[in-house]
Amino acid sequence: MTICPYCATGCGMGVSLQGGRIGEVSADPAHPVSMGKLCLKGLYGFRHVADPGRLTMPLMRRADGFVPVSWAAALNAIAEKLNAMKSRSGPDASALTVSGHLTNEDHYVARKFAREVMGTNNVHHGGPRATGLRAALGSGAVTNAIPEIGEFSDLIFIIGSNTAECHPLIAMHVLLAKARGAKLIVADPRLTDMANKADFWLRIKPGTDIALLNAMQHVIIKLGLQKLAFLRDHTTGFEEVAAAVAADLPERASGITGIPATDIIAAGQIFGKARAAAVLCASGIADDGTLASLANLAVMTGQISRPGAGIFALRGSANSQGASDMETGGGGSAPIDLPEAIMAGRIRALFIAGGNPVISHKDTQRLQKSLRELEFLVVADLFLTETARHADIVLPAAGWAEKDGTVTNTERRVQRVRAAVAPPGEARADWWIFQSLAQTMGCKTMAYAGPQEIWDEMRRVAPADFSGISYARLEKMPGLCWPCPTEDHPGTPILHVGGHFATQSGKAALTPVPFVDKGRAPDNAYPFTLLTGRRVYHFGTGTMTRRAKLLAQIGPEALIELNPADAAALAVREDDFVKVSTPHGEIIAKAWVTERVPAGTVFATHHFWEANANEAADGGKSTPAQVVKSSILEVRSALVEKNVEYRPELERSTAARLRAYGHAAR
Amino acid sequence: MNRFVIADPDKCTGCYTCVAACVNVHEQVGLVAHPRLTVIHTAKVTMPVQCRNCDDAPCEKVCPVTAITFQDHAVQINESLCIGCKMCSLACPFGAITPFGTLPEGAGPVYGGLAQPMPSEAEPVHPILAWTSGQRTVAVKCDMCHFRPEGPECIRVCPTEALRLIDDAAINQSAMEKRARYSGMLAAVHSPGVQID
Repeated sequence: MTICPYCATGCGMGVSLQGGRIGEVSADPAHPVSMGKLCLKGLYGFRHVADPGRLTMPLMRRADGFVPVSWAAALNAIAEKLNAMKSRSGPDASALTVSGHLTNEDHYVARKFAREVMGTNNVHHGGPRATGLRAALGSGAVTNAIPEIGEFSDLIFIIGSNTAECHPLIAMHVLLAKARGAKLIVADPRLTDMANKADFWLRIKPGTDIALLNAMQHVIIKLGLQKLAFLRDHTTGFEEVAAAVAADLPERASGITGIPATDIIAAGQIFGKARAAAVLCASGIADDGTLASLANLAVMTGQISRPGAGIFALRGSANSQGASDMETGGGGSAPIDLPEAIMAGRIRALFIAGGNPVISHKDTQRLQKSLRELEFLVVADLFLTETARHADIVLPAAGWAEKDGTVTNTERRVQRVRAAVAPPGEARADWWIFQSLAQTMGCKTMAYAGPQEIWDEMRRVAPADFSGISYARLEKMPGLCWPCPTEDHPGTPILHVGGHFATQSGKAALTPVPFVDKGRAPDNAYPFTLLTGRRVYHFGTGTMTRRAKLLAQIGPEALIELNPADAAALAVREDDFVKVSTPHGEIIAKAWVTERVPAGTVFATHHFWEANANEAADGGKSTPAQVVKSSILEVRSALVEKNVEYRPELERSTAARLRAYGHAAR
Repeated sequence: MNRFVIADPDKCTGCYTCVAACVNVHEQVGLVAHPRLTVIHTAKVTMPVQCRNCDDAPCEKVCPVTAITFQDHAVQINESLCIGCKMCSLACPFGAITPFGTLPEGAGPVYGGLAQPMPSEAEPVHPILAWTSGQRTVAVKCDMCHFRPEGPECIRVCPTEALRLIDDAAINQSAMEKRARYSGMLAAVHSPGVQID
């Protein structure tokens, strides 16, 4: 049994082989989260593993393109460059980015390499940091276990999460709760499939979540639904929050959010009266203010630290949680604006271990420009991605099905992943790559025999969280939620039990969060709002899912969602090509005429380099995440035109991108 | 009597797992690699739509080459006999029949929506009449996975158990439940000695 490599739900699955390759994936019937089910990415998203395009040798850039070289040659060249950079420009001129697809063991060794060999804390992961939650509760992690939603919650409030598409098996738990009679409130501008199932769908204007949350708190306080004893004993700052939201009348919030005041009042009332409310959010509200306001809402109503009551700030990738957990061992620094740091000359050498920021970065134009300014770029990946094509040296990495280790899902469950097949050619696990590079650079202290030895060291470095989670225990049970300090400890599915928060004072710190309208309003030149996000059948930049035939067949190309009213006004029919332009760029793709988006709003994804929504992005300077992985919801103004002469323009656009991203016509 | 698969829109989350599973099992037995169900998204519901295997099937009536027959409580299309005329697709009241064919070996990649596997291809007039040179189209619809003793694969993989098989037993069960409910309602308003008219 192993764990699905895609989203952060961490579903259990078995892999069976046919002729030395993965032939079939089956669901693990005993897995506590996925309970014998998988979505289509888990079941059919494995064919990229045996794709002939996998990297099998290190590649080095020469004048006329990449040439395959030996590991020794590649490692020597990297060591020489990084050592030279260190002595010339100091340790912090080099940086490392790590993806949420690496194992905990990969992350640990990557950080140790940065810290002990390079002498820098410049290690960045693209996952959300949930700083707003961390400030309020002392931890940004998901507070409860996922199965509690299906078992205990009597209200599920979803805001900024397209759960059905981005975490399908968590959506399953929401439906289990509904079948028990739980109520569902969804705040989303789009008619997502969770909104479709909601008892209350709050069709909120993009970027106005704080106004809604503050008004719900206003309603709760007005009706006296706050939990006074809990607030007195376990929190600070409630009076200030109450004073701040006193002016946030539902009628006022209605004008900002576009939600009828009666619905805002109903939502506040239902939330305040719930026995156990689960709040689900994801990168749609990844900014710190919204998370802080959400923490205020959950804490003042006591909807925290009890079975089925808590905040599920869902992570994106299979091991996004582990990527931030492994900072416990040191290494890792505050999020930075990577293109800005490179353009300013502060970062001159970069090592990208997994991840494809050329497509996924929310300001890809600026990122691509900055990559060309780097003195030295190394990329380790499964494929020659759009990002790897910028590299001086490309290293072939082993994928999820080819290595042992652990990953941590979004509910902090540390689970074993197991190698099913051998890596192609000379591809190697990321921990091996960093360890070998460390040894090449003269480090004598890194010589792990394998993942278990690395994990055992991590357990000693952060004993309070991981000491009790041994490989031996993980053989016998389907994962353990940290903190798990001893080998007889059952793990901690629920954080902050009894109102004992992880802050310094032990109390939850409530802080007023005033609503500030940061979105640029649509105007005559750009009358539309562009929302970006994900689709259920693809993941990230499509590096893995577009090479899985069944998934690529369901999602062969980008679709731009356009409301029927706008489509009628533009005389656009389903499957006509439309062009979405912003001051930053333009994309052309087929229109999906659908009520899923409100009038005046279009939706596009970053799964396809042919029409990548991030090309039309404006940089999102207010958002600290540097690499955007999943369902980010950004507000942008856009112009949508019907592309009457689409064929010639589409051909030009596609040809330009074929060149820019290095995809030769096969 | 006919058997068919139907989705409960209250349980379907539009995850497309049934669609991928459908292509997978049909491809494995050498049938056209195209989904036999289509996920629709309307303002009210998301759910896959598939063939109802009508007892008096219009598709069977219009097929000029008897490629469509009623077998084992379901309407079956013989892909080898089908001439790709699309009459069945037009006749089907559910939109459950999709004309599709497997692309010839070595067809080019699709970039930026430019599906141009063969040169000089005419613009499609209508989805049903769309064609690609080199591709022989046949009628494709739900065949109840008749080659699988375990029954339809879509039902097995659905993560939210939104899909179920409707057959004699399921219809009898449903009717019995509704009769019981109805008689319960009647009992509630009915006092002894009072004549109901």
